Amino acid sequence: MNPLGWISRVPSWQLTLFAALLGLGFLVAAQLASEGPRVRYTSQERSPLVDTATVLQAQQEQLKAQILDLRGRIGATEQADAGSAAVVRDLNAQLLAARIAAGLIPLSGSGIVIQLDDSLQPVAADANQSDYLVGARDVRTMVEELWSAGAEAIAVNDERITPSTSIIDIGPSILVNSAYLAPPYQITALGPKDLYGRLSASPGFVDLIRARAQTYGIRVSFAEPESVNLPAFAGTVTLRYAHPEPSPSAAPAAPSASAGG
Amino acid sequence: MRRRRNQVTIAAVAFALGLLVVVQLRTQASGAAFAGLSSQDLTVLVANLNARNDQLRREVATLDRELTTIDSNRQRGDASIDELRADLQRVRLYAGSEAANGTGVLIMIRGPIDGSAIEDLVNELRNAGAEAMAVGGIRLVPGTVAIGAPGKVTLDGRTVADPVELDAIGPTEKLTGSLTRSGGLIAQLAATQPDVAVEVTPVDRLVVPATDRNLVPVNGHPRL
Repeated sequence: MNPLGWISRVPSWQLTLFAALLGLGFLVAAQLASEGPRVRYTSQERSPLVDTATVLQAQQEQLKAQILDLRGRIGATEQADAGSAAVVRDLNAQLLAARIAAGLIPLSGSGIVIQLDDSLQPVAADANQSDYLVGARDVRTMVEELWSAGAEAIAVNDERITPSTSIIDIGPSILVNSAYLAPPYQITALGPKDLYGRLSASPGFVDLIRARAQTYGIRVSFAEPESVNLPAFAGTVTLRYAHPEPSPSAAPAAPSASAGG
Repeated sequence: MRRRRNQVTIAAVAFALGLLVVVQLRTQASGAAFAGLSSQDLTVLVANLNARNDQLRREVATLDRELTTIDSNRQRGDASIDELRADLQRVRLYAGSEAANGTGVLIMIRGPIDGSAIEDLVNELRNAGAEAMAVGGIRLVPGTVAIGAPGKVTLDGRTVADPVELDAIGPTEKLTGSLTRSGGLIAQLAATQPDVAVEVTPVDRLVVPATDRNLVPVNGHPRL
């Protein structure tokens, strides 16, 4: 006797309906699951804000591309004058060094890449869920540890760390140079060939691994590629409040109190 | 009649199925970009993106003017020396290779603060728009990190003595507000490190020195 023989006795429309209801149940479950721990907000109130943020982010990418293009064209035009007077050649050389120092030129060289990603461990009953996510403080600590280990230039995902860079939390993600970044965070550091050796010997790095990776399961991995690439900073370097302070040697000599007396 | 009722039932289920597929796909598409951000987070994000885009637009305008001037000078056979000097000063000032002056805040930190708390203050000030900063007379540039246990902070290998002076040039009100607001960093410090006192004073003219670090990497080369 065929144990599945009863199926042939069920009308075909009932089988179709059964399959459709099964699909329906699956989709309802998927919809609920997609609003899991990281997404728990109603789309109705978020939707206009998500749309605005999406538009602004697209504008930001466009503006950054424009800035990089303009800087490239200015640099090329200035370099075209390099064959002229010695003073121009000297100024161009100084300008290139200043732009490298400011993070305005993409760099390649020896270095390492550290990746930080959220924990996959279940959140303990008495724990805070944010402890299982990579936060701005984790990224900042890693950047500080890399500087201390001898890194010479650092980028987080595609954002170059410059004198004006702040790294702050925004929900479960972070803002670097006011650019929205989501995990995993790849911290690329240019530095000496033994950069990872120096980093792993640092008590601060060991503490970070113990406190975040071993306790909460934050995933930390690293790579030492042949060469690392760092993007240029695509932001403003025009300061509005800070002005050049004349150097004492450049200042005109002030007449002494007794002069002319 | 019965056959018609079955068809209606199947049509209703198929409609619900289609609707859910669309909702699911839209949820995944829109939620993926800013997953996990609440409306409040998104409001902060939009404010940040707006402020940053305004800055970027100003930079585009500055660079546009610079390129136009250099181009027209070249056409006249001039070398744009003034533009090169102005550009050099602008970039060096940003990088920290030039001493800077301007309005800002003077922050006096008394008591056994640790390096990490100083870094938190610096990060908060940068986020509020600080343009040039110094701790204990040392200009802050990439690579300069305050490290050490409470009361034993060093910066670039130099000990920073108590009281620690942090100078920040930037928008005075915004800098002050970012630190002193209710629930801000100073309030958090008071709760976690009660022996530390932080005083913020707006100043009309602050001077921060140039860095003495070599900011040009020796392990990398430009990718032009």
